Amino acid sequence: MSSIAGTHVRPRDAAAVAEVLRARLGRVRLHGSGSRQQRLEPVPGALALDLTGLATIDRLDAPDQTCSVDCGVTRAQLDDALRPHRLELPCPGDGTLGGLFASDPIGAAAPGGQSPRSLLLGMDALLADGTPFKSGARVVKSVAGFDVHKLLVGSEGRLFVATRLHLRLKPLPRARVAFANQALDREAALRLLQQLRELPHGLQSLQLLRVAGGGGGWNVRGAIAGRANFVAATLRALSLQESDAHPVLHLEAPAGGEVLAGLALPSALPRLLAGLPTDAPFLWHGGGRFETTLPVANATDRALAALASAGGHARIVAAAIGRRGLGTPIDAGHRSIADRLKHALDPHDVLC
Amino acid sequence: MPALERELERLLGERAVLTAPDALLAWECDGFTVHKSRPRAVVLPNSTAQVQAVVRLLHAAAVPFVPRGAGTCLSGGPTAGADAVVIDLARMRQVLHVSTEDLYAVVQPGVVNLDLTTAVHHLGLHYAPDPSSQSVCTIGGNFAENSGGPHCFKYGMTVDHVLGAVIVLPDGALCRLGDPAGARLPGALDLTAVFCGSEGTFGIATEITVRLCRDQRAVRTLLGAFATMTAACRTVSDIVAAGLVPAALEILDQATIRAVEASVYRAGYPADAAAVLLVELDGPDDVVAEEAAEVRAFMQQNGGLRIEEATDAAERKRLWKGRKGAFGAMGRLNTDLYVLDGVVPRTRLEEALVGISAIGQKHGVLLTNVFHAGDGNLHPNISYDGRDAAMTARTVAAGHEILQLCVDLGGSVSGEHGIGTEKLDHVRMMYGDADLDVMARVRAAWNPDGRCNPGKVLPSRNACAEVAKWPQMIAKVLDPEGGA
Repeated sequence: MSSIAGTHVRPRDAAAVAEVLRARLGRVRLHGSGSRQQRLEPVPGALALDLTGLATIDRLDAPDQTCSVDCGVTRAQLDDALRPHRLELPCPGDGTLGGLFASDPIGAAAPGGQSPRSLLLGMDALLADGTPFKSGARVVKSVAGFDVHKLLVGSEGRLFVATRLHLRLKPLPRARVAFANQALDREAALRLLQQLRELPHGLQSLQLLRVAGGGGGWNVRGAIAGRANFVAATLRALSLQESDAHPVLHLEAPAGGEVLAGLALPSALPRLLAGLPTDAPFLWHGGGRFETTLPVANATDRALAALASAGGHARIVAAAIGRRGLGTPIDAGHRSIADRLKHALDPHDVLC
Repeated sequence: MPALERELERLLGERAVLTAPDALLAWECDGFTVHKSRPRAVVLPNSTAQVQAVVRLLHAAAVPFVPRGAGTCLSGGPTAGADAVVIDLARMRQVLHVSTEDLYAVVQPGVVNLDLTTAVHHLGLHYAPDPSSQSVCTIGGNFAENSGGPHCFKYGMTVDHVLGAVIVLPDGALCRLGDPAGARLPGALDLTAVFCGSEGTFGIATEITVRLCRDQRAVRTLLGAFATMTAACRTVSDIVAAGLVPAALEILDQATIRAVEASVYRAGYPADAAAVLLVELDGPDDVVAEEAAEVRAFMQQNGGLRIEEATDAAERKRLWKGRKGAFGAMGRLNTDLYVLDGVVPRTRLEEALVGISAIGQKHGVLLTNVFHAGDGNLHPNISYDGRDAAMTARTVAAGHEILQLCVDLGGSVSGEHGIGTEKLDHVRMMYGDADLDVMARVRAAWNPDGRCNPGKVLPSRNACAEVAKWPQMIAKVLDPEGGA
């Protein structure tokens, strides 16, 4: 095996990607638009396999509300193609679609909302040795065979290379209004959050946010979607303030600090917040994911220990090299199956 | 009594182990009655610890085993070979925990789907996936099969509602997947999603955490009767193209309507209609009222012969009675019913139905259609006499061609019933050797010895091996060269 450690290659199609993999050039790190690379632990000497050259929207079946896209198609590119058809991919996230599905950085935007796992119908992929295979289907419903494509979600490109994704789309709502109620105290914010969660209909995204330097005030943000009169009535009923601010998807690590990402039930939020520094920036998405930034490693370790003792789950996603990926323990049985899957699909640990 | 059975009795008690041949009759098949096989024994554990003890014992003895829910599966998934022990989970039927604040429930696998909704109804909550068999089928079975149902057009399949599970792996080890806060843990693979739909071949779920949904304030069900199937399908396309997302979009064809109207499931459908379309809308009162008006307009525009709207629970129940009872009603048409399950892109439904009709005529079989039109999920049903070998063979051949048609139109050989043993051959219509090899690797990661529900989902390299498990006459139809 010859090595071209540190090299960056950008193939233009799946056949060329397969050729690179078949050449067995050592360890390979997949790259999309790069928006999430800083959240992965670097692998010195790995070949950077840039998939942004695979950028074709292969099929857009608007009446059937499905599409097939190359993994390097960007979120913005797909949004532009869908807009004339009044369709959308209803999950938050940016960058390339391959990166979005492989990293699943946010999950669902609202309680019970759509997430990458519910929108991925199938894929064409390559094993680490370049062998092509497919999983799933192009139709909105299929239970034929095992759903290997579901393993893409959150795999961070370590199991196989998904070159084409088959996606489910949804109609754009007739009206959608973003709201942001700002500078609330914690109790008021949690109360409003609860009121919004009790809506049986129309809540398309929901966030609880405390930003750095915001004086400790809390923001409750989100979007209500549906028929125009329903949206207007809901905004009025809950005194929601219309806002054109862009949604915050992630928190940035402060200089020398760290970002911790995890899962939290709504009922666990008060306890979780009580265990964090009173001014720590915090972001909770309605689907259950949260991020918080902590100024020093010791503070992160204390937060992780508290979460672990409460049965919670989190890991460090932005930190100095050597700290990224550390987190609360994962069940031994889960870890064992994940290790076996890695060995089964990439026995030589090429994808990293 | 062999030593293994004695040891099983020691673990579970005498009344939880069945070995007498006549006692095993009820476990010789599921809803796919073409494939029958009596297991070596049936055990009825009542806890995770008991399942774990049984699996450890069977693993040590190298005995295959098959998990089973209510046996309502329609593809032979829980049918066990003569050497295998069935682990029946029917006694594990407790709702262990309900969180009204965080909207989830933890249940044992034997909890009946509808019983969960009944248990949380007073809290204004429900469990959304609703297979036709929901009054009998279990959550564990639904999880294993990734079951659907009429309301999954809007609410999604079982996989969209399972947050986590406790799994007894095939060697008896425990594995905890997901969390009530989210199915995928930070930095981990989404093993919950890949386990869902693995048809009992990856392990046995003994606790399942599912999402609960809030009841909608208003629900309206509309019925549109049409002179042609084309008009019914076009109405569905119009509804979807307008951006409406009804909770359900279901179509019954004329033969099904007539069978229903002649049965105890009579719902008052117009017997002269070529197709009946049921549309269910849910949401806030004023929204549902506006959407119902739009749906009515589409039905009228496409020449609806009769349009009805149920606005109260009793009327709604009546309109659904015919749809939910359709499979039972069709059972009156002959001694046996072969319920097929294929998917096509919704935009190719009409084309598929024309093709299915032609296949039925070619093979001289009685075909009826009831389907989830919103998802393009077809259920062509063939009523046949299983005692008539030639008719059975024609039935199987017609089914084979119908599924090939679905794949040719860009669809799938199964939308919600799974592969089991029924579709071991059909899987190859969709997947090549490389695809199946990757799936086999994934299965081996969970089930390295292959003893957990063997012979399901993935065909062996020699497809004749699977066909040989069916009656000889069917094997001949599928392999006229006589290779079986």
